[in-house]
Amino acid sequence: MSIVVESVSKRFGDFVALNDVSLNVRDGSLTALLGPSGGGKSTLLRVIAGLEQPDSGRVLIGGEDATAKPPQRRDVGFVFQHYAAFKHMTVAKNVAFGLAIRKRPKDEIEERVNELLALVHLDGFAHRYPSQLSGGQRQRMALARALAVQPRVLLLDEPFGALDATVRKELRAWLRRLHDEVHVTTVFVTHDQEEAMEVAEQIVVLNHGDIEQVGSPRDLYEKPANEFVMRFVGPVSELSGRWIRPHDVEILTEPAGGTSEAQIDRIVHLGFEVRVELSLGDGESTWVQTTRAKVEELELAEGQIVWLRLEAEPVSV
Amino acid sequence: MKSKYALRFVALGYLALLLGIPVALVFINAFQDGIGTAWNAVTTPEAQHAFWLTFIMVAVAVPLNTVFGVLCALAVVRQRFRGRALLNAMVDLPFAVSPVVVGLALLLVYGRRDGWIGPWLSEHGVQIIFSTPGMILATIFVSLPFVVREVIPVLREIGTEQEQAAATLGANGLQTFFRVTLPAIRWGVAYGVVLTIARALGEFGAVSVVSGKLSGRTETATLYVESRFQRFDETGAYAASVVLALLAFATLLAMNLIKPKEAQG
Amino acid sequence: MSRAFPISGDVLGRGVAMSYLSIVALIPLAAVVLKSVDGGADTFWSAVTTEQAVAALKVTLIASLIVVLVNAVLGTLIAWVLVRDEFPGKSIVNSLIDLPFALPTIVAGLTLLLFYGPESPVGVNVAFTRASIVLALLFVTLPFVVRAVQPVLLELDTEMEQAAESLGASKGTVFRRIVLPNLTPAIIAGAGLAFARAIGEFGSLVLITGNIPFKTQAASVFIYAQVESDNPIGAAAVSVVLLLAALVVLLIFGWFSKRALRHEE
Repeated sequence: MSIVVESVSKRFGDFVALNDVSLNVRDGSLTALLGPSGGGKSTLLRVIAGLEQPDSGRVLIGGEDATAKPPQRRDVGFVFQHYAAFKHMTVAKNVAFGLAIRKRPKDEIEERVNELLALVHLDGFAHRYPSQLSGGQRQRMALARALAVQPRVLLLDEPFGALDATVRKELRAWLRRLHDEVHVTTVFVTHDQEEAMEVAEQIVVLNHGDIEQVGSPRDLYEKPANEFVMRFVGPVSELSGRWIRPHDVEILTEPAGGTSEAQIDRIVHLGFEVRVELSLGDGESTWVQTTRAKVEELELAEGQIVWLRLEAEPVSV
Repeated sequence: MKSKYALRFVALGYLALLLGIPVALVFINAFQDGIGTAWNAVTTPEAQHAFWLTFIMVAVAVPLNTVFGVLCALAVVRQRFRGRALLNAMVDLPFAVSPVVVGLALLLVYGRRDGWIGPWLSEHGVQIIFSTPGMILATIFVSLPFVVREVIPVLREIGTEQEQAAATLGANGLQTFFRVTLPAIRWGVAYGVVLTIARALGEFGAVSVVSGKLSGRTETATLYVESRFQRFDETGAYAASVVLALLAFATLLAMNLIKPKEAQG
Repeated sequence: MSRAFPISGDVLGRGVAMSYLSIVALIPLAAVVLKSVDGGADTFWSAVTTEQAVAALKVTLIASLIVVLVNAVLGTLIAWVLVRDEFPGKSIVNSLIDLPFALPTIVAGLTLLLFYGPESPVGVNVAFTRASIVLALLFVTLPFVVRAVQPVLLELDTEMEQAAESLGASKGTVFRRIVLPNLTPAIIAGAGLAFARAIGEFGSLVLITGNIPFKTQAASVFIYAQVESDNPIGAAAVSVVLLLAALVVLLIFGWFSKRALRHEE
């Protein structure tokens, strides 16, 4: 099901959460709503789900105006950051909830629950309680629960925000694979640009209630629409009054055409990458991202004078 | 280090002198003339009626206050309306009102002669004061706040996310309430119910005023203890007290068992 | 929010809650207030200034104040011992703190009479004296400060105390300057609740104090006597005084308690 958001605005008191936001989400796609905290992305997701009512604008799901419908009738699956597990029910009963509400026959429910638990790799946990599961497992259960009723749209609100780094990475890859298998239109909210870039086909960048840019991960990285998107989606440094990607700068040990002179202040080794901090002539400083190999090759050292040149076709704003 | 023992000694000594020994004495005195005598004392017709009446009062007041408690807690925690803080504060009124004032209040409204609606009710054959309904009303008043007070923090703590999840899964209001909300708050409700029962059982001041203290008719277990004592039937008074004390201990036990579950959520 | 979440019952739920509260509590209390001024402000004033009324109020207020002060100290001490100390049977002692909540007040009075009355096994007899009022009130108000302070003590970060000790402070100083200020809001809150409870207490007083007018007749007993002698205005007037005292104290102590809490942030 496609999702269309038309000129949606929402405020909470004086705070403008969404400012005349419009968006198209293709049927079957995997989209990320990316942005800093308070930027409006969770609000937008909840408006789509029907958990918040917009002050103005419309939401269409599968071509139908869903704006006036309560969440019960929108056929959306929703996964919460803190799982919202029904603590007093077993994993199986949690997953079965939507089907039990719809009064499906018992064997049908049992079959579907087992199917889903297998899908999310929680078979064997059917009779445990959420409190006995790890965070990652609880989130997988929440996903199974949301998928049980075959929603037209799957919405996830910072689904991995409460988990530690390793589990987060695992679940990201896993979400991508799940989407490949299940093909339901999926929208997820994150403030982690790496997560958005890794998982989503399409990213919507939201800041202060406005959409800054919509595009594929590559588009956002290589053709950022403005400084905000550029800074948010990847590393930036400044050179000659322009914002550039620090790995788009070449370090030369000899002056050449189109280069600027700089002095190395510090060389920081971050594993494979090396960060070289430099002072420019006019009192400004900048930094360049390069590799260990390059540093060794050029025999760079602190205090050394070098020359910087932008590589051809840099990303800049 | 010495101070630790000194503190412990003072604390335990105080508790023994104030609670422990006095309560132990009532047990000792009740069984002074043997268990048989004590048993006979609590199984007289008046005694049986008194305990039965107390039971009735509890059986009516507790479910009503429980339903009210849950509804009120839901309103205070989940809704926004003018007067919400006031409702919340007024639920605590029974804690600030002396039981005899409760009795007086009911007398003034339901009194047969000069009450606000007492005379009218009396014309229609309904008697509140000096009769069981009045005592039930008194019991309801004094045990009103407990379920509310226990459920409110539990409701606050569980938050609305589970309910929102249920909504997205298609559950309507009633389904969400019975399948998600109520199970989530059940231990808070249970604890509140236990406290309500204990308070209802022990009510004395208000029923003193509204009952007329008619032995065998409007005498609750607590009033029975008083009347036995006033008539110098000490064994009767102590034996009935032992029954009430045992119920109190059962209450403490229930509280102890439920409290950890309430905390776990 | 209400459209998506009809579980809160909306207007129906809170309407039912408010109606129930009104019928059970608010309307009867209003009757008391109105009755107290039934003959005008002068009648009210003369009713509360009769010698007997004044005596009863004085007895109650002074005894309640004494009890609150004792509880503030001993309640904190007991809470400290229950939280920081370990000894066999501690959990049983902890449960017993709630006994005054669970035990009917008439039974409480009876147990105190057995130990501190004419038949006292240790020859201590304070029956029919003002001391007996203080004794009974101490019994019924025991849990308030203890239960208010315990959770705060449990949450208290002992690292603060350890830091103070590492800076050279003695245990007494640590308690005075580090622990006590953090407990103050809870102590105040508990004391307020204890006071409101104490001034209205009735059941535990009837047997042990003798209810002697001008000497050991508490305000609640006075009100009861006025009801029995068909003086509802007198009863209502003093009731209003007690109600106001309770509400004022609860408000003030509640305000102080919150103000002290704010310093925590």
